[in-house]
Amino acid sequence: MADQGMDLNAPHSMGTTIIGVTYNGGVVLGADSRTSTGMYVANRASDKITQLTDNVYVCRSGSAADSQVVSDYVRYFLHQHTIQLGQPATVKVAANLVRLLSYNNKSMLETGLIVGGWDKYEGGKIYGIPLGGTIIEQPFAIGGSGSSYLYGFFDQAWKEGMTKDEAEQLVVKAVSLAIARDGASGGVVRTVIINSEGVKRNFYQGDALPLWHEELEPQNSLLDVLNSSGPEPMAT
Amino acid sequence: MSKAAVDVPMKGGFSFDLCRRNEMLVKKGLQSPSFLKTGTTIVGLIFQDGVILGADTRATEGPIVADKNCEKIHFMAPNIYCCGAGTAADTEAVTDMVSSQLQLHRYHTDRESRVVTALTLLKSHLFSYQGHVSAALVLGGVDVTGPHLHTIYPHGSTDTLPFATMGSGSLAAMSVFESKYREGLTRDEGVKLVTEAICSGIFNDLGSGSNVDVCVITKGQTEYLRNHQLPNPRTYINERGYSFPKKTEVLLTRITPLKQMVEVTEAGDAMEE
Amino acid sequence: MNSQQIYYIFDLCKSPNLSLSLSFITMAKQHARWSPYDNNGGTCVAIAGADYCVIAADTRMSTGYSILSRDYSKICKLADKCMMASSGFQADVRALQKVLAARHLIYQHQHNKQMSCPAMGQLLSNTLYYKRFFPYYAFNVLGGLDNEGKGCVFTYDAVGSYERVGYSSQGSGSTLIMPFLDNQLKSPSPLLLPAQDAVTPLSESEAVDLVKTCFASATERDIYTGDRLEIVILNADGVRREEMELRKD
Repeated sequence: MADQGMDLNAPHSMGTTIIGVTYNGGVVLGADSRTSTGMYVANRASDKITQLTDNVYVCRSGSAADSQVVSDYVRYFLHQHTIQLGQPATVKVAANLVRLLSYNNKSMLETGLIVGGWDKYEGGKIYGIPLGGTIIEQPFAIGGSGSSYLYGFFDQAWKEGMTKDEAEQLVVKAVSLAIARDGASGGVVRTVIINSEGVKRNFYQGDALPLWHEELEPQNSLLDVLNSSGPEPMAT
Repeated sequence: MSKAAVDVPMKGGFSFDLCRRNEMLVKKGLQSPSFLKTGTTIVGLIFQDGVILGADTRATEGPIVADKNCEKIHFMAPNIYCCGAGTAADTEAVTDMVSSQLQLHRYHTDRESRVVTALTLLKSHLFSYQGHVSAALVLGGVDVTGPHLHTIYPHGSTDTLPFATMGSGSLAAMSVFESKYREGLTRDEGVKLVTEAICSGIFNDLGSGSNVDVCVITKGQTEYLRNHQLPNPRTYINERGYSFPKKTEVLLTRITPLKQMVEVTEAGDAMEE
Repeated sequence: MNSQQIYYIFDLCKSPNLSLSLSFITMAKQHARWSPYDNNGGTCVAIAGADYCVIAADTRMSTGYSILSRDYSKICKLADKCMMASSGFQADVRALQKVLAARHLIYQHQHNKQMSCPAMGQLLSNTLYYKRFFPYYAFNVLGGLDNEGKGCVFTYDAVGSYERVGYSSQGSGSTLIMPFLDNQLKSPSPLLLPAQDAVTPLSESEAVDLVKTCFASATERDIYTGDRLEIVILNADGVRREEMELRKD
């Protein structure tokens, strides 16, 4: 009976959209909230933006187990590091710890991460650490299955020196665009804004996101869809 | 290798001694033995004063029901319980192991165990075996920081949720939760919803069946409601009963006495070595 | 003898492919091997008596861990005194029933009478063997009354090997039911006597009780058996039907 409709042994993966963007005073991180096991949404409200230290967060994608373990280890190392140094760890140190684990255990891990945060030496910084353990400092980084829908959009929409609100609106818009096109991304949009003043977490409910091309209004029941006056959804 | 190392089983971890032999046997066409799997419905939810866990009681081995009334809600600590789905041996071993670590930790610290401690111990064990220990768990409890509910997958990933389901009946049970769960349920409403979710698994998923077990954990109190509901009584009993009088016919009887015992006495010199 | 009991079961390649989506979408690389067969479970029992025949089957139809129907009849009337109960793959069972119905219609046109149960037994065997190398995934028991009005039961494998017996069970719960029937209905030692008669010594009501017990017990331990029991009794008076509820989990 090893197998069943929904395989219990299937690794849990986060078909994801994750984003990190710098603006003129800090960074904005963004992510959707869907965790799936094959066809089944195992968690529709997951938090993929994980805290590493007071001023550094990480966006996780890929295998849920692997990304949790990597971020748990990095958080543990950074706590030690903070105590030994007597001051907050920098974003660069955090990102390089993620890289070190990703690179040294590349054969075991299937996870891509985006580290973002603020420190007094370099200000807001975003580091992308994709599959093999590469580390790239970027003005903005996108990752996860939904990111393939966003490269062109970011090439067009990202501007140097945005304000905090502009940056957050960009992130929310980008994640909602990816949710609309990528079946593996969905749920709500979570954002984390980090700057010299601290950290602010926001979330935007799935039914409050803008509707893009050919998207339908949220409905409670299939009967509502059939009775709605909009474009015939079940037309053959 | 010292003699002791051969005779005494190792203190911790698994023995992989026979892996290569078994691999060879499988290649030669031997079928490896099947395991008792609990094709299961297990659920949990957070209500106004704590956590409620629920489980069905069927254990299967292929299409056969191996146990009609097994226990799937395992004890972790007096304030923490854990429902298990997957290979029965794995769920039992992993919960027992962590339960004993928690007990030792309580002796050391003289404090109530926390749910996160159990969570971390479980996930790090499961992660280190990369999904080969197939235990899918719903962990619930109330500690000094309040009520907590987590799901743990065989690969070691964890989720924190207000309501959770696991096992082959998880889709059936989740459909009940998704349509009826709300925040701030009372104890009775919570137990009713958990029972309904488990029943949905029992009746719609062939891997789940028999009875409903429920466990209600509140601050400072745990109620384990074994067989809270028995929705599947036996459907037919023949009033006449059955007899099994027919035995194998005796065709002939012959008694062959054992050979006489021979005593051997030593004579002459022993052979040189 | 049921010597030819080898079944071709094309199993689905059961490796759920999880495409891990990181910076690019990885499409599923492995193709699940497609199978023309499914197993919809279910159990059938038939018992032949001196002047009656009991044919019974549960009404659950399932696939994998899901129930497709709780009320699907597995018993099909092939002729006036001939019933077939079939488990296995429902699509194949339906195809088989359709072929038999068509053949029986032709028979009626040619001979102006109903086919006898032993004749239908031979026809079923031929029909199954005709598809020897792409079999009907159907496990049948045929029950009815022969020309003398005695109960008769024929049991089959998927490719047409058949035998006239006093009682039989087929399908997912057969491994649980068959030993019990052997114990209750076979003579003291199978070595002593070659079965003198193909019919069982029970009275009709005892046989019906036995069938009910069989199914109630099989439902306790077989996940593919359950929901409702349908019993058809054929005797000199005609056809009678009985029903009983079974466990629904």
